[in-house]
Amino acid sequence: MMMNASVKKGILGLALVIPSFLILFFVVIVPIVYAIRESLIDENGSGFGLANYIRLFTEPTMRKNIIYTLNVTIVSTLLSLVISYSLAVYLRFGHGWVVKWINRLYFIPMFVPGVIATYGLITMYGNHGWLSRLLLLIGIDTFPKIIYDYNGLVLANLWFNIPFATMLLSSALAAVPNSVIESARDAGANIGQLFFRFVLPLSYKTMWVAITFIFMGVIGSFTAPFLIGANSPQVLGVAMQQVFSNYQETHTASAMAVLMFLLCSVMGYFYIRTMGKEG
Amino acid sequence: MNTTVESQLSIRNLSKVFKTGDGVRNISLDIAKGEMVTLLGPSGCGKTTVLRSIGGFLEPDHGDILIRGNSVLNLPPEKRPTAMVFQSYNLWPHMTVYENLAFGLKIRKYKKPDIEREVTAALELVQLSSAASKNPTQLSGGQQQRVALARALLLKPDVLLLDEPFSALDAKLRMEMREELRDIQTLTEMTMVFVTHDQEEALSISDRIVVMHGGQIEQLSTPQEIYDAPQSSFVASFIGRINVLKGVSDGQHITVGELRVPNPNVALPIGDCIVAVRPEDIYLSTQAGGLEGQIRQVMVLGHYAEISVNYKEETLKVFVPREQAATLHPGQSISLMFHKMNVFPAISVSEVAPRQEAHA
Ligand SMILES: Nc1ncnc2c1ncn2[C@@H]1O[C@H](COP(=O)(O)OP(=O)(O)OP(=O)(O)O)[C@@H](O)[C@H]1O
Ligand SMILES: [Mg+2]
Repeated sequence: MMMNASVKKGILGLALVIPSFLILFFVVIVPIVYAIRESLIDENGSGFGLANYIRLFTEPTMRKNIIYTLNVTIVSTLLSLVISYSLAVYLRFGHGWVVKWINRLYFIPMFVPGVIATYGLITMYGNHGWLSRLLLLIGIDTFPKIIYDYNGLVLANLWFNIPFATMLLSSALAAVPNSVIESARDAGANIGQLFFRFVLPLSYKTMWVAITFIFMGVIGSFTAPFLIGANSPQVLGVAMQQVFSNYQETHTASAMAVLMFLLCSVMGYFYIRTMGKEG
Repeated sequence: MNTTVESQLSIRNLSKVFKTGDGVRNISLDIAKGEMVTLLGPSGCGKTTVLRSIGGFLEPDHGDILIRGNSVLNLPPEKRPTAMVFQSYNLWPHMTVYENLAFGLKIRKYKKPDIEREVTAALELVQLSSAASKNPTQLSGGQQQRVALARALLLKPDVLLLDEPFSALDAKLRMEMREELRDIQTLTEMTMVFVTHDQEEALSISDRIVVMHGGQIEQLSTPQEIYDAPQSSFVASFIGRINVLKGVSDGQHITVGELRVPNPNVALPIGDCIVAVRPEDIYLSTQAGGLEGQIRQVMVLGHYAEISVNYKEETLKVFVPREQAATLHPGQSISLMFHKMNVFPAISVSEVAPRQEAHA
């Protein structure tokens, strides 16, 4: 049998793709399809339909949880982004020993495991943590509630995400040549124009990478909200676990999982669309 | 130059020394409105350093820079009335060629139709009309360089700074762009500081040339003067072709081999000296009386010929008209005499000596 070169190449390509496709299939696609199927089965096992989803959006606690999750995620993402972007810009364009030291220290939180960091936050900001005790020493006895609250959760998310995002953005800004900045200033660009017309467009893609990763990480987070989140409302990750194991409502839990997957897909869509663009 | 008349650009005792010890020292320069002054010198002599100081990208250690009488030292680059064509072009990779050109006008609040007209004209000028919608990364080095030139010209600065703006162009285009730039300059009366290490470019384009060497000004004169009356052996050897011979001065006369000529340079110390003669200033004769040499090679180059003559251990270059070249052939003994020569103290390379010329 004769085989021409392009057919051979095609077969070889297929052979190379098949293993990774199989892994993708069994590890990602099958569970998703399974979860979707599960989520469509009514909780009392009676029929097939959207009942679980309708419950998600109509039952007050569930609705609150979803809104709360989105709120925490969006606020955490935006804050992390703004702070790490500012930090990265400062590290890229600033001078002096402060820059040097921040450069050496900022990524340390990445090396602290999440559970330990969370407990660290509790001992620091907790009601009887050392910060409140310190404040008491100087006569301040009204310590705001930080831990087991929305603020604590956002704070934890910042702790987890800023170092990584700063690292990403720093490398993007390092790739913005000084020469570009110089010629822009030569043409008369002020600080604002420098940032919005040069620095931002030249690091735009990496910014989207950062947004995507922070968003996905926060929306699916479990450890921190489980340890320091409020009892109610709860983020989807924690709520899902409770629905699944405390109430044994597997179908509702599946619906929540599918919802979270859809939210992440929206992000993924924007991510892919940005990456696909030329330039 | 007369400094009481307000110069367009005035550099006073500028010094900028880097940690490495390199840099520029004691640069003083006055440039009139509409003048084209070239900074010429070998790589590393500090041309870019001077230019970047004017543009505001380097902070001088000493000295002052004035534009139309006002010090600009405290102004950041974006506030200085200068525009620069950078040695490395520095185009903006995220903007098209058109956007690169339009940006400066946009932030100067030009109206859209005006921007369109000006940018189109500028692109035509640098022969890149078809590249408007392209990305800078899709252009060749020479094309990028022309975009950078157009971008700076559009800003109509008080002083235009050009750092080797034609280095990436081929010989023909370089010549065209040179003429184009000179036309623009005459037309707009824009003041320009032009950096190059190409002496031919400097000679052809400048009103005045600043020859730099080792971070200092070696000579500041018109192209003609630089060529005819170099003030140091460095300038003499850097500009144009030149033959360098050893001579001895006794104060009254200079002796080069068998030749003995009056010494016009009173400042020249007695003893060894350097005699520099341009190839066109050597006269070849079959009659004895000059330096006795032997022709090694005759090379006809269009309307003139280049003759290589062995004299002792040296090989001297002589330019002669083509008709004379026909009478010369390799191996022939020949006598060399000088129409004109420059003499310099033997050791000094950078010391400035007074004007020295002698006719033999
Ligand atoms: N930022 C800097 N730090 C240290 N040394 C520098 C710096 N910039 C330039 N120099 C040194 O100063 C000297 C002059 O540099 P400059 O760039 O002005 O030379 P140039 O005349 O423009 O040379 P070229 O023709 O190669 O462009 C060189 O020896 C160079 O190594
Ligand atoms: Mg240079």
